[in-house]
Amino acid sequence: MRRFVADLHVHTLLSPCAAVEMTPRNIVWHAARHGIDIVAITDHNAGDNVPAALAAAKGTDVTVLPGMEVETKEEVHLVALFEKPRQLFAWEKVVAAHRSGRMNDTDRLGAQFVVDEEDNLVAVKEEMLLTSLTLSLNEVCDQVNALGGLVIASHVDRPAYSVLSQLGFIPPGLALAAVEVSRRTPRAEAAKRFPAIGGLPVVTASDAHTIEDFLSGPKMAFNLEAPTLAEIRQAINNENARGVVL
Amino acid sequence: MTVNDLVGTLPLTVVAGQDRLAAEVTGGYVSDLLSNVMGFAAPGSVWVTMQGHQNIVAVASLAGLAAVIVAGGAVPEPETAAKAETEGIVLLTTPLSSFELVGQLYRSGVKGQ
Repeated sequence: MRRFVADLHVHTLLSPCAAVEMTPRNIVWHAARHGIDIVAITDHNAGDNVPAALAAAKGTDVTVLPGMEVETKEEVHLVALFEKPRQLFAWEKVVAAHRSGRMNDTDRLGAQFVVDEEDNLVAVKEEMLLTSLTLSLNEVCDQVNALGGLVIASHVDRPAYSVLSQLGFIPPGLALAAVEVSRRTPRAEAAKRFPAIGGLPVVTASDAHTIEDFLSGPKMAFNLEAPTLAEIRQAINNENARGVVL
Repeated sequence: MTVNDLVGTLPLTVVAGQDRLAAEVTGGYVSDLLSNVMGFAAPGSVWVTMQGHQNIVAVASLAGLAAVIVAGGAVPEPETAAKAETEGIVLLTTPLSSFELVGQLYRSGVKGQ
């Protein structure tokens, strides 16, 4: 068992609101240099830059988790994390079938770049990513879990795009593994400041859109046997001697 | 009717876009879901919402709206006001609830489409 530092919510330059410096290669390079052992790549409603991040991490000590920050039809943001790339690919198919049909407006919303592991431009994603899917909160949670992934409610301490800002409460029975707080809220104070969190586990992450965000933003430290999602799931729940390092 | 006419008669505060108040108002829309506004608000509408996130500016710009009114005493984030200023979007606030404001807009002659 050893300590792993994990950032479970990082955007690449595929997200229209992220800086172009957020290439998979640059993220992995900075992670390796700054002792960030686990990085989840979580772009808005797309996973196209995950393969490049996995390739960039090959031969390094950094583990990349395939993920996505999903926007539900209630305009709630959820971080979906997967163990295997094929689980993410299956999820991307579900997402593709539930898009708004609108195309991105680069001038107003920002550009959406797909790149390879050496920062070469592969494609410009045309679909509007910064908008809601036609799937509900429940549907996203259930389907991600059915594919073997887990769901964390994004930045519940923020006044926009969070389950608490949109609904005011967390629907009972929703299949959430945890809620996330941003750098605004110390993790230990989250449940007190936001009683609606109830007994759900609380994690924090950088939600980085720039390298500066990535390096300075909050992260988790877990005691794990190995840097896998299955281990993180246990650590979040304090099971089998896995846990969160305070 | 212009945005300026509404500012003159209803309890509205101009947060950004002071130089665009001459814009013609052709209708109204109320929703707190941005994707819904993108899909259904007609150009030239005033949009009533409680969302203060900066993405309301992008939505207003995409939909060609005359103004965004943040209701219920909600305070738009500082980045929202700054972005509205650079994008030339009229951003207004009101202490009235969305329901009350929409009632007053309707009485002033602003109709849905």
